[in-house]
Amino acid sequence: MADNVSSKRAAGAQRPAEISTFSFALIVSIPVLLFLLIVVAYPLAYAFYLSFNEIRFFGGYSADWVGFQNYAKVFYDQSFWSSLSKTFRFTIETVILTLGVGLGLALILKHLPGKWRWLRALIILPWAVSPYGAGIFFAYLGRGQTGVGTAVAAMFGSSQTINLISARFVIEYLAVGAAWNMAPLVAFFLLANMLTTPQRLYDLAKIDRMSRLETFWHVTLPPLRFTIFVFTCITTVLAMKTFDYIFTETQGGPGGASSVLTYTLYKISFVNLDLGYGAAMSFFLLAVILVSTGILYFLWGRKEERQ
Amino acid sequence: MSNDFLNMNRRGFLRNTALLSATALTSSLAALPFAHAADFKPTSGETVYFRGWQFRTDVVQGNVDTYNKTFDGKVDYATVTGDYPAIMEKALIANEALDVLYANPSSAVRYSGGGWVLPASELPNAQEIADGMYPNIRDAWSIDGKLLGLSYFVSTRGCLHVFTKPYLEAGFTEDQLPANWDALYEMVYALHEKGVATPYLPHWFGEYFGISWGFVFEVMNRGGQVADPQTHKPLLTVDGPAGKTLEAWKKLWKSGLVPEEVFSYNEAGYIDAFRSGRYIFSPQQIYDLKTFNDKAQSGDVAGHVSLLSAKEQSWGLIDSALYLMTSRKGRSEALTEDVKKFVSWYGYKDEKGEFAVANRWLKENMLFSAYKSVMESDEARTAVSTSLMRPEDYDRVLEVYSKTPYPKGIWNVVWSEEFNFWLRDKLFAFLQQDLDVEGVVNEANAKIEELNARYKI
Repeated sequence: MADNVSSKRAAGAQRPAEISTFSFALIVSIPVLLFLLIVVAYPLAYAFYLSFNEIRFFGGYSADWVGFQNYAKVFYDQSFWSSLSKTFRFTIETVILTLGVGLGLALILKHLPGKWRWLRALIILPWAVSPYGAGIFFAYLGRGQTGVGTAVAAMFGSSQTINLISARFVIEYLAVGAAWNMAPLVAFFLLANMLTTPQRLYDLAKIDRMSRLETFWHVTLPPLRFTIFVFTCITTVLAMKTFDYIFTETQGGPGGASSVLTYTLYKISFVNLDLGYGAAMSFFLLAVILVSTGILYFLWGRKEERQ
Repeated sequence: MSNDFLNMNRRGFLRNTALLSATALTSSLAALPFAHAADFKPTSGETVYFRGWQFRTDVVQGNVDTYNKTFDGKVDYATVTGDYPAIMEKALIANEALDVLYANPSSAVRYSGGGWVLPASELPNAQEIADGMYPNIRDAWSIDGKLLGLSYFVSTRGCLHVFTKPYLEAGFTEDQLPANWDALYEMVYALHEKGVATPYLPHWFGEYFGISWGFVFEVMNRGGQVADPQTHKPLLTVDGPAGKTLEAWKKLWKSGLVPEEVFSYNEAGYIDAFRSGRYIFSPQQIYDLKTFNDKAQSGDVAGHVSLLSAKEQSWGLIDSALYLMTSRKGRSEALTEDVKKFVSWYGYKDEKGEFAVANRWLKENMLFSAYKSVMESDEARTAVSTSLMRPEDYDRVLEVYSKTPYPKGIWNVVWSEEFNFWLRDKLFAFLQQDLDVEGVVNEANAKIEELNARYKI
């Protein structure tokens, strides 16, 4: 008996111990983390250094130490607060539209009859368009003289030009374009999730005589919630740092109506060449992004993880 | 000494001398083009990087190909999209591979302030080039007595184009065409009363050369200045041209005659809007007369677009661009010499002594040049005349062109781009948020003071 136990122990000692999930994740991630550290750390550290200096290029390069002056200046800068509010407006609208349209598209794609399933491949095309290209495309679509609004008005016999790039709702128009660009990717991930839901759950819902809305709410949606949370975070970050799309579509206009924080940062850093102040303001953007995603995680993400 | 030479008679001496002279003359004449060709031939074997904004890239590529083929050159040409002045500034700061670039004078002055420009005064034939330019243009393109670059184009931006067909149909005559800004605005309202929905397309579009330049040229056309050409001190006044301009703009905007979409136009959108035939008056580029009168490009207005006379006042401002050489660090001496050779060929005369590139621009796009020889040639008259609504408009074009002012006070200074962007935002806010005229004028003066202080001017 004792021999039996000791031989089992010996066999157990020879078998390599299984690594924990955390250790495995660490091993897989370390090369990427190292790469990111090299690529991100230097510019971040340099930007941090710039933010405490006043940089001059004219009359010879110079960097004069100004301490926290650049950070303090941000609080009194009206353009910062105005841009920040536009950034929040654009982000909230973009996230809602992207997830709403993405979910809708996924539902449509899931229920496509067999002969129409090739549409699933086509629907990804908007995501393949670069933000720069999407900006030019939506600029043409929105302008009164070339746009879709005027074309629709003409169909009804009107000679009115309908301009969609108006100061009153340019942020909403931009959000529509951003959602058009991003929603197909969301749709594909949600569709992949939906296709893993067992058919028998839908059969049970039928037996329980659930309505379509009830079926969607109790059967379709629960497995999607974590994916929706992840894409909410991703879209929030992407919307907050959007620049090229807005630059090509409106150049921050009409007037300054779409001067979001990234556009204001661009003007300060790359038009005025005030790199110290621009760097300081960019850390506020970084803080806003981190706080926003942090709030999302604490209010929503932790709950999803527990489930 | 041979006996033949000693025994030569006078006839023989003269014949031999004449033959010798003829041979020498022929060989020197035959060698002339080759001498020029040798001057332009690169020797470093390295690449010259040439960058510009997107305008007739086919023409530019064709010219570059000709140079490369003729001289076995290695010029690499590419275009830059986006916010051109800022992108090029970053390239210069980063000491990127960039040897020759397009630049507006205000950008050129800023780049020169950063120490990133090799002035055209460094070219071997700099004096000859400078002497061949119109003095006012040479002055505009010079800083501290140094000519910054060579002529790409010189134009009048903001000269008043008129689509004559609906104007005449509204019951007005050519004699009643406005001669100054106040008369223009009066005519706009008169046309509206006659049923014209959108009589005027103002220079209020969103590009860096849009609304802010529109303000600057209207102030200058009304006899004012934004800043002093020498000291760069602000000169705007509430009861002067600046105040009058803003009052006129406020009234026009509030009248609802200008669609808001103008604010979001780029240059192409602005040109498209005028050639759609929806507007009667608009400040446009002088060279776009060719576009507007070309049936293939502007079917709705072609043959009916003319200019307002500049007898009473100027219209617009001088809009020009230069070919600029960079002074990038680490470039070999030999490559710098190649850069000079290419720029001299491209921006001045070719191996045959002709202004080949400048003449081509004039013929193909009516781009005027800073060189007197180009502008005062018969070819120029022919090229321009064929682009107009009627031949007699040629004199009107020259009249407008010759009177166009240049805003040296705000362009030949290192803060030019910063002020321009600030002014653009402020003018949009003035219209959209109904700001006070006096407040805007005072803020603009204060901004100039602030920039002067910041740059120690």
